[in-house]
Amino acid sequence: MTESSMPRPGNVTTPLLSVKGLRTWFHTFGGIVKAVDGVSFDVAPGEIMGLVGESGGGKSMIGFSIMGLIDPPGRVEAGSIEFGGRDLARLGEDEMRSIRGKEIAMIFQDPMTALNPLYTIGNQIEETLALHTTLSARERREKAIEMLHKVGIPQPEQRLHHYPHQFSGGMRQRVVIAIAMIARPRLLIADEPTTALDVTIQAQLLRLMRQQVEESGTSLILITHDLAAVSQMADTIVVLYCGRIVERGPAGDIIARPRHPYTRGLIDSIPHETDIDGAKRRLSQIPGNVPDIRKLPPGCAFAPRCPRASGLCRMQDPVLSEREGTGDGQGPRRLHATACHHPLTVSP
Amino acid sequence: MNGVKTAENAPLLEVRDLEQRFDVSGSLIDRLRFSGGRVSAPRRIVHAVNGVSLSIRRGEVLGIVGESGCGKSTLAKTIVKLNEPTAGQILIDGEDITHHDFTQMRPVRRKMQMIFQDPYASLNPRQKVRDIIMEPYLESQGGSVPDRTERALALLEKVGLGTEHLDRYPHQFSGGQRQRIGIARSLSVQPDLIIADEPVSALDVSIQAQILNLLMDLKDEFGFSYLFITHDLSVVRHISDRIGVMYLGFMVETGPTGTIFSAPKHPYTRALLAAAPQLGTKLGPATEQLGGEVPSAIDLPRGCPFRQRCPLAFARCAEERPVLVPVGGGQSVACHLHEPAIAEPAA
Repeated sequence: MTESSMPRPGNVTTPLLSVKGLRTWFHTFGGIVKAVDGVSFDVAPGEIMGLVGESGGGKSMIGFSIMGLIDPPGRVEAGSIEFGGRDLARLGEDEMRSIRGKEIAMIFQDPMTALNPLYTIGNQIEETLALHTTLSARERREKAIEMLHKVGIPQPEQRLHHYPHQFSGGMRQRVVIAIAMIARPRLLIADEPTTALDVTIQAQLLRLMRQQVEESGTSLILITHDLAAVSQMADTIVVLYCGRIVERGPAGDIIARPRHPYTRGLIDSIPHETDIDGAKRRLSQIPGNVPDIRKLPPGCAFAPRCPRASGLCRMQDPVLSEREGTGDGQGPRRLHATACHHPLTVSP
Repeated sequence: MNGVKTAENAPLLEVRDLEQRFDVSGSLIDRLRFSGGRVSAPRRIVHAVNGVSLSIRRGEVLGIVGESGCGKSTLAKTIVKLNEPTAGQILIDGEDITHHDFTQMRPVRRKMQMIFQDPYASLNPRQKVRDIIMEPYLESQGGSVPDRTERALALLEKVGLGTEHLDRYPHQFSGGQRQRIGIARSLSVQPDLIIADEPVSALDVSIQAQILNLLMDLKDEFGFSYLFITHDLSVVRHISDRIGVMYLGFMVETGPTGTIFSAPKHPYTRALLAAAPQLGTKLGPATEQLGGEVPSAIDLPRGCPFRQRCPLAFARCAEERPVLVPVGGGQSVACHLHEPAIAEPAA
């Protein structure tokens, strides 16, 4: 594999990751929690995909499902996760272990708990290499120093011997990125990687992540609730609501011309620059709350909060249907798909 | 607006040179150190708020922004006297409350209420909604049970909760609904000033918009003032009339919202604005990106608190600490580059 020379997403590429009809359910005493319920998407080599939605949308569970980290009472009930010719949903724990960290790496939200406080960060960076490569201890150390340097940690030779508590939050997240990227994975899943950090540090880290994945041709799934951050980074955006995809398409298209009322609502909920021209305008808001996922209403899950809902929406589930994206590019990857009976029409 | 009430232009809240320090050195045993053959017990002092002055007029919203550890929450807690201020003055309606004790604070709390960040931690799980929201009222006015029930029902309606919620417990509510309960509680004594410490940052975006709208509607209806503390620039921009930017316990820039966003002067404000993600704009190359991280509040740097991260720092910044000076248009900046003598002498 020469993943370093992978092109940016173009017109024709076989996807690196293809998720089809994924259902991850949790069997609890209170009922079945359909955290992920029939989700399908492709990620091309080198693509940055943003997975957005509010809490309870199922975005983190998609990441965990791909990594094979769903524990009972949760289970991947149906669907396939094709990655490099294999279906990850069918692999055993041993096979998954050879993929995790080497081919697919993950960055978690909280850099405080993602690192082991009892080992030096040098140990933790080298561990990945020790597990997945045949490099000597000396070579591993050199690689670790090089990686720390790349993620912008000053004096990497000395810092290698330090413990996590000797680093600030931003620096710890850099270490976590170094650990994730050192084996040059083909896919990186970042679950709210900057949510716990300040804006100035967040900007540093998003730039760093983008630079790292671009250099090594790694695909990135960026999971976040922050639509603004995603719009800065992603090539494509997938919007989730109550475990289902409500909209999927090219990032610019989704932000500028959302078709699903939920996406539109999310975008309008963010205080925009244009709001401030003298008078304070009210933010447009999505009424109500996210429903209890164990007791979803029949039909479209968003219908009770949707200004466009009709009788049809309360009876029949809308299916994700693809239309051509507006303007930019051709090919199946450029399609803009919406699961809505009454999608917003595109204003010219 | 409230019309004729005291002196129209007198500030509702005035804070002068407020200092808040915390001794974190622990017990004498913890502090014992041997250095140079001698026993010493150095103290470790966190300088959380360093000489902050601000004022809020009636009906005005002052937003305080800054990153974690900049002292913005401590500032809020000190103003409502949850901390005992180390130095400086706090005046409410002209009354100096700096050294008020608990009993003296009671009547003051009717004028000043607080909304907290965490809607899960700030409501007593063993109290019913009716008791939670009427507690400040009970403390200050008392009132009969039917009177309190009537008021509680009216408050619930004001914050957009149904009257059926009166006898429920906090765990039966979502985060956004809990924050509404917290807001109802702060309204129960009809305060003049509400201090809101990150009231929407724990909420999802769609709920955040609901709560921001509610806060603005209530302000329009009752005409009170907000001291609004947040790290979120888009939120502060939406809600504030004036903004104060804090860094390491210092106020580094203040001014009208429009001016702060269109013509920020302090290098830190500029970097903060540049770092905030903008919807639909691709992350460009680092223009005003800040390197490094916020220094420790235990050992404050000499000179300007921002100089180690400042791209424009020069010799004087290490020597002399800049003070907040007016630069016109209601804007004030604490930066040697913007002192009248240096910046544009012709103007």
